[in-house]
Amino acid sequence: MDLKVKNRGRTVFLIVWLALIVLLLAAILLLGLPGEKSESIRAVMRDGVLHDENRVAVLGLRVNPGLISAWVVTGVLLLCGAALRIFAIPRFTDVPGKLQCVIEALVEFFSGMARTSSPHRPGFVGAYIFAAGVYIFFSTVFELFGIQVLTDAGRSVALPAPIADINGALAMGILSYLVILGAGFVTNGLRGGLGVLKDFSLPISMSFRLFGALLSGLLVTELVYYYTALSFVLPVVVGVLFTLLHAVIQTYVLSTLVSFFYGEAVEPKAPKVKKPKKQKLESGEDK
Amino acid sequence: MPLNIDFVQVLLHLLNFVILAGGLTLLVYKPVMKFLDARRARYEALEEQNQAAKEESDRLQKAYASHLADAEAEIAEKRLKAEREGAETARAYLDGAREKAAAIVAAAEAEAETRRAQILDSAQTEIGELVLEATQKLLTDSADAERTAALYDAFLRRAEEDAKKRAEP
Repeated sequence: MDLKVKNRGRTVFLIVWLALIVLLLAAILLLGLPGEKSESIRAVMRDGVLHDENRVAVLGLRVNPGLISAWVVTGVLLLCGAALRIFAIPRFTDVPGKLQCVIEALVEFFSGMARTSSPHRPGFVGAYIFAAGVYIFFSTVFELFGIQVLTDAGRSVALPAPIADINGALAMGILSYLVILGAGFVTNGLRGGLGVLKDFSLPISMSFRLFGALLSGLLVTELVYYYTALSFVLPVVVGVLFTLLHAVIQTYVLSTLVSFFYGEAVEPKAPKVKKPKKQKLESGEDK
Repeated sequence: MPLNIDFVQVLLHLLNFVILAGGLTLLVYKPVMKFLDARRARYEALEEQNQAAKEESDRLQKAYASHLADAEAEIAEKRLKAEREGAETARAYLDGAREKAAAIVAAAEAEAETRRAQILDSAQTEIGELVLEATQKLLTDSADAERTAALYDAFLRRAEEDAKKRAEP
């Protein structure tokens, strides 16, 4: 008797729950989203690439939302770094705990990559790719939080990944190239520097690789979120998995490229061997 | 600019990342690397100590085996030496005993000779006395000239034979 009542109650609950979901979906589809009306998909996509409309006013400057993301991510990372430095690192032991394992694995991954790709001077590039890797990974994952800011046009936009902004991607590419170039000059003098200068396309390729990868993710996400019908279940796959995948892949790609080119730039160059002058043939043989 | 590239924002991104990179390097990367290097150095030192202890142990084991072999060789040598010395001592004792025995025998022989000579002397003296006694008795019993001459001759013959015997070695 009790079992029958219980089953009946569960069935009623399921029917009401599903009916509520269907009703809400129908209402959303019938009414449509406010975003669809305020901006066309074309405008959203265009703004995702060009950032010519949705800008944020900060300190008298009109900046892209990506720069705000960069500042937020940097602030959070520096705070976390300070907390780790004060509370975690002094308590490191020879037998590591979980947090120590994660931090050690992270640092050893980048320092190991630096030692492998640049065995002659792994110190600086290790620290650089550690910072770049951490920045790219966490700033890419950051877009998942969907923190909203108000643009100067009065719209609310979610903060994107900083590297999905062409300015952020260019900054990373240029700085990475300057690091490689500087290391070439410092280690091998003019010859090393000129060797790196030959790869003048490097900053552009690195910048646009980052920008393209992150932008493609951003556009797909914008597209998915724009249409109501695509806003159920699919964002979990597109948003989370694509973003995580992008974060890991771009971190790995940039770290590998920088450490590889850095290693090539600081590799000791063998001194040039002067070619022996051709001995003059004897006069008899000339004739 | 194409793609709305804004160099002010690029510089702002650069500044932002430079601050972040420096901060992360100082706050996380270097302290963790320092810890890792120190731990690696500590384990390497321990490994070296273990290796040194193992080498020392091997060396001691070899030295012990060598000392053991030396001791066995020394024991064998000492045993051989002791046997040799024992044999020499026994031989010396034997030689001494032989010499002593020879000396005792020689002394005994000399003493026997002396005593023999003494006995012979006393015997001769006694014989002489007996002869004198017998002669006196004979003279007293029968004073015959022929018989007296025969007795004197017999006496002289005996004396010559004794002298010959004495002269022989």
